[in-house]
Amino acid sequence: MLSTSVREDDTPDSASTSVTGEPVTLRLAYADDPPTKALVDGFTRRHPNVTVELERTQFRDYVTTVKLSMSSDDPPDIAQYNPGAMGSLIPAGLIMNLDLHAEAYGWQEEFPSSALEPLRTGEDAGEYGSGSLYAVPGSLSVLGVFFNTELLEEAGVDGPPATLEEFEQDLERVEDTGTTPLGAGALEVGGFHLWNALLNVLGDQQDYRDWVYGSPGATIETAAAERAARTLTRWERAGYLSEGANAASDMDAQADFAAGGSAYLVTGNWAAAALSEEMGQDVGFFLMPGPTGREPPVASGSSVSYAVSSRTGHPDVAAAFLDYLGTYEAARIQARSGFMPVDPAAAGAGEGVMGQINAGFAEVIEAEGLVPFPDYATPGMIDRLTPGVQGLVAGVRTEEEFLASLQEEWEDEHE
Amino acid sequence: MSEGAPAAPRPRPARRSERGPRAGSPRPGRVGTGAWPYLLPAVLVYVGFAVYPAVSTLQFSFLDWDGVAPPAWAGVDNFLRVVTEPLLGRAILNALLLIVFFTVLPIALGLVMTALIAGRARRGAAFYRVVFFLPQVLPLVAVGTTWRWMYSEDGMVNRFLGAVGLGDHARAWLGDENTALAALGLIGTWCMSGLCMVLFISGAQKVDAALHEAAAIDGAGPARRFLSVTLPGLRKEIGIAGVITTIAALAGFDLVFVTTDGGPAGATNVPALLVYRLAFNEGDIGAASALAVVLTVLVAVFVGAIRLLTREDA
Repeated sequence: MLSTSVREDDTPDSASTSVTGEPVTLRLAYADDPPTKALVDGFTRRHPNVTVELERTQFRDYVTTVKLSMSSDDPPDIAQYNPGAMGSLIPAGLIMNLDLHAEAYGWQEEFPSSALEPLRTGEDAGEYGSGSLYAVPGSLSVLGVFFNTELLEEAGVDGPPATLEEFEQDLERVEDTGTTPLGAGALEVGGFHLWNALLNVLGDQQDYRDWVYGSPGATIETAAAERAARTLTRWERAGYLSEGANAASDMDAQADFAAGGSAYLVTGNWAAAALSEEMGQDVGFFLMPGPTGREPPVASGSSVSYAVSSRTGHPDVAAAFLDYLGTYEAARIQARSGFMPVDPAAAGAGEGVMGQINAGFAEVIEAEGLVPFPDYATPGMIDRLTPGVQGLVAGVRTEEEFLASLQEEWEDEHE
Repeated sequence: MSEGAPAAPRPRPARRSERGPRAGSPRPGRVGTGAWPYLLPAVLVYVGFAVYPAVSTLQFSFLDWDGVAPPAWAGVDNFLRVVTEPLLGRAILNALLLIVFFTVLPIALGLVMTALIAGRARRGAAFYRVVFFLPQVLPLVAVGTTWRWMYSEDGMVNRFLGAVGLGDHARAWLGDENTALAALGLIGTWCMSGLCMVLFISGAQKVDAALHEAAAIDGAGPARRFLSVTLPGLRKEIGIAGVITTIAALAGFDLVFVTTDGGPAGATNVPALLVYRLAFNEGDIGAASALAVVLTVLVAVFVGAIRLLTREDA
């Protein structure tokens, strides 16, 4: 399996935007569906001579299986991008460097640059955010705040807050009516998503990006990150967070919110379809507001992206698939599958909560304000983030200790 | 793995060689060459799926390897890393505390249930056996998810407390630093008690009825007979139950993974969970293997101690 200790050559000899008319079969390994299947179907309708064999693995096992299959002698041609796995595969030279194709197709203009940024890195995959392009996004997501219109009306809150301060006042109003203001699934990612949403609007965007991307000397022990953590603990002490937050999974928190158990829920657009189905017109969405309400919008988001094997026999056909992901047609498919499309125009106005999410997302993309989630920083970061926020919620860990444990993990990885 | 198997009955090999086709074969207990074709399938499966992975784990524990790039020799670095890992101490302590819930309580409960339903054939005994053994049959992932809901803020446990006037004590049991480990442990108690009971009942059935009769004639009541006749006869079964449940407590993973994932804030971390995170989240196969080796040694020490304590001639 590991016959060579030399880095494979990951740059194709040439890049062409023309696709052969000969029959071609590509193999594609992935975990997320939707959107993968629908996107592949769209691509093969355009290129009937191309057959794509799909190899799906459950998300939990995907990191392991994709590492093994991409480093085997017979790797899939295309693989869904996963930061944990690619951190090992890129330094081994097993993932194709897409710079030539990006230039030939003009992907820098075709895709939002804040969505391409996390997919750029150097040969050693030590630092992200700049360098060569190793994958292309096939759909995006965005983090924000869902609210229950009925519960807010009862509390006398009229619509989304303009500033963070106003949001805090609204939480208090809801608390006064005896309803839990803010649901949080701190057993899983919901807890640190709340901290992350606060950090997005309280902190400097570039500082945060530098830290997630692993730029030398970056730190998360900043005044802004501490302020975000203090805001979270203040809300917890004031009783704004659901009481059993540390024992609630993300699905638990979402189900509780849908049933009217809490007035607000911080989560991503991925919850929208289920929530609007259950709550109808009673659910709305806004981006976490900043201190003044006039800051350019910043929100965390991730992408379902695809990378190409450096050993593929059909680099140009694989690249044509990546290019297809940025087309208006593909963006329509992404939007229909419940994702944020890489071309925000394809989302359309939409009604109700979907319309509000689309509007918020378009603002974020327009301002290039889409930033990665904090667990993107290192493969082990999620095991510091989840217990860390649980410690804040339970009151057994200080804000300083929480941030120090994140920085310690970061330095272990980037020493 | 073989620690759990009962010792082979001694007289059997002798009888086998008396009446076997190869009466002149060597000393009793030795396997003749003719036996290998019969043993081969089992040996191949055992070597392929138990011995080989174990040896590989040991080998990986000395490598610096992320699962993809060429591995490099790391010497004892991985072991130094895992024994100095600040989370490990708490995780091992948690696992030891879980022995109370996975081993001590289930054996005690199993004995009580055996005392109640063994011996006389009572109507409905089979029903109780099935009910108590059922948790063993259910997949732990389903068990864990169900209990997570029952323990939640407005789950069944808290509703019950509210109904009996103890609503003030209601809390998210798995979300509270102070109660999470005990709440998790009680799920283990619920799972393991039925297994212990089934083992003990089958053991109790082997006890010669004449002993019970003799004790009864001497005036011993049911409690006395259980303590003086049944219990000594169960020594071997208690040993086996102790071994199986202790392994579940020390090396258990799935139940913790689906209920608390080590939370809140590390209060229910166990060693197997740290192995999983090292291997699958961090991609550090070397350190994960080293921790697995440490865990195996820990389990072997405990299992050895239990075997020693429950020997027939101890």
